[in-house]
Amino acid sequence: MKGNKGQLAVKRDGLLPGDLSFLITASHELKAPLALVRQLSLALELADVDADEKARMLRQIVLVSERALRLTTDLSRSSRLEGSLFELEPLNPQQICEEVAHELTPLYKACGREIQVSSHYRPILGVANRDLLRRIMLNFGDNALHYGSAQLPVELHVGTRTKSGTIRMGVRDYGPAVPVDVWRRLQAHLGTDMQALHARPQSSGLGLYIAGQFATVMHGKIGATRHRDGATFYVDILASTQLSLL
Amino acid sequence: MTKTPYILIVEDDEWLAEQYIRTLSGAGIRTEYVPHALAAIDSIDLTRPDALVLDVLLAGPNAFTLLHELQSHADLASIPVILCTNSADQLAGEDIEAYGVAQVLDKATMLPADLVAAIKKVLP
Repeated sequence: MKGNKGQLAVKRDGLLPGDLSFLITASHELKAPLALVRQLSLALELADVDADEKARMLRQIVLVSERALRLTTDLSRSSRLEGSLFELEPLNPQQICEEVAHELTPLYKACGREIQVSSHYRPILGVANRDLLRRIMLNFGDNALHYGSAQLPVELHVGTRTKSGTIRMGVRDYGPAVPVDVWRRLQAHLGTDMQALHARPQSSGLGLYIAGQFATVMHGKIGATRHRDGATFYVDILASTQLSLL
Repeated sequence: MTKTPYILIVEDDEWLAEQYIRTLSGAGIRTEYVPHALAAIDSIDLTRPDALVLDVLLAGPNAFTLLHELQSHADLASIPVILCTNSADQLAGEDIEAYGVAQVLDKATMLPADLVAAIKKVLP
């Protein structure tokens, strides 16, 4: 079976060279959450912890496991990306942002952080695959979690329809500025390979790569904007013409 | 009276740092935690820890930037460093010995007792 670049495809004689690199990156990215789950589990097994602390540790295990599972689900989706399998439909990007914020709120709360959606008063419709778009935004939201001050929330927002007929959905975090040279490397490779963003080690290079693949399937693209106090990762999707026809 | 050992933990995963603190506190070791190398430099200047527990990939400057900085100051170069990392298999011994790294622990295989043992080994 021939696989696209970055997809897990097995040939009769083994993995393709590109797939091997993908496999190595995937296993490395799953190592961090698994190592944390293991450490917490060992502590629960070995240490004398009070009931409150035990409850907190168990909650952390659940949330870290869920984050790792989101990555594994993305990996399996990525391995069978065929345009025809993912139906595009008109949808409300604001609603997707709200669903993503709702899903990530327990993780953010447990980390003492806040995630919110910037309100958008004008109705705006995009055309995308709901599941893939949710996964892209979840990925950006997961990545933003570890950056920025506890005082400033991570913001999900929907931009206005552009002249080129797209809508930009972004996740803005407020954190240490990424050095210019690192940022240029990121811009050059964003969504096209699995290079990790080393100034933000908990950001998933693999996750961004998969997000880029998901966006391409929906005729969109991902990108990032560097700010003095953080970054915005965004996806551009097609705007729906349905409302303009009304 | 014996001085309570004091360890600075530099780890950008807050929950893992909490776990280190829990483990070391249980062994009677005083700890402080900072999430990145810049905060570590400030803290080291102020508090002169007996040893560092240091992650490699950090937000902003990584562990090697911090190790370079420590090595450039005569009074800080001797602070022993325990690297706790998911990339242990990618660190060559000769590359890190020059930085005052006493031991490398692999986060994926270490036991809580390994961290305590590594710290006790380097304490004066």
